[in-house]
Amino acid sequence: MANFILRTAEPRDVPDILRLIKELAKFEEMEEKVMLTEKDLLEDGFGDHPFYHCLVAEVPKEQSSDGYTVIAFAMYYFTYDPWIGKLLYLEDFFVMKEYRSLGIGSQILKVLSEMAVKTRCSSMHFIVAENNTKSIEFYKRRGAADLSSEEGWRLFAIEKEELLKMTGK
Amino acid sequence: MDFKIRAATREDCKEISRMIMELAVYEKMPDQVKISHEELERDGFCQNPFFESLVAEVPEEHKSKEGFTVVGYALYFYTYSTWKGRSAYLEDLYVMPEFRGNGIGKGLLCKVAELGKKKQCVRLQLSVLNWNTPTRDFYAAKGAQDLTLSEGWHFIRFDGQNLDNLANEAPKD
Repeated sequence: MANFILRTAEPRDVPDILRLIKELAKFEEMEEKVMLTEKDLLEDGFGDHPFYHCLVAEVPKEQSSDGYTVIAFAMYYFTYDPWIGKLLYLEDFFVMKEYRSLGIGSQILKVLSEMAVKTRCSSMHFIVAENNTKSIEFYKRRGAADLSSEEGWRLFAIEKEELLKMTGK
Repeated sequence: MDFKIRAATREDCKEISRMIMELAVYEKMPDQVKISHEELERDGFCQNPFFESLVAEVPEEHKSKEGFTVVGYALYFYTYSTWKGRSAYLEDLYVMPEFRGNGIGKGLLCKVAELGKKKQCVRLQLSVLNWNTPTRDFYAAKGAQDLTLSEGWHFIRFDGQNLDNLANEAPKD
């Protein structure tokens, strides 16, 4: 059983966060889509106006894998629903393969839920790819609702090129 | 028709709240609206606002049947993509039915795009109900891609008792 701690990420964790982002993207078969650099993450998460918050899980040196002690992360931010108010949005959530089934993911989710309730959020939202059945089961076991299936919500994105056309520049 | 798009003020929250309810009725979920203008005032106009908002206003001579001059709104906030960085999320976009077809919806959408661009956002995201074809067409015409269709993304939610249950199991500090 791994000994681990969960803590708020600090600027020094940025290289590990980027490494884990890329590992998750690889797992989702979309590794080439990660455009972020360590510089972006540092400025966007630890500058004057943070765009995200991050939790990391750390194991002691003697249990490290390939020398890495930061072995899981969750990135989240606060959003708003005009029907129910503040929400906690979970953007990324990943535990390195070698550290799964040890309760780390479960613990992270509980800490995030506690934070959501403490900050008066009505709900925690996130998206999952429909072919990621393991993750969907993990969330459903804990009472999550699939709003795409149940209520028919579809996610849309307008990318930079199209945005620029709209701003007329 | 003459109209003006401007940043919402605290005083606009009553109008925005009225239109939130109108949009919820259109989306066939009016019983799901649990907050009023008071929460909007508190959460949108505090030190670290949880959202930003724009309103569309028409001159007095074009006011609605019931006498409203604030006839549309957009509510959005900033998010983060671990792949691409800063993003904006358009949570609500609404124009009162009698004012549609005048470019107000497009004006609101373009203004949000411009504000996002100023903050170096690389993407604007939103969600639409699958039966809402006019709205899906509106966004598709502006270059939006349906990521649920093309990449299989599903929205997941934890709330109410399920959220509380998870929270109660969190390790104590």
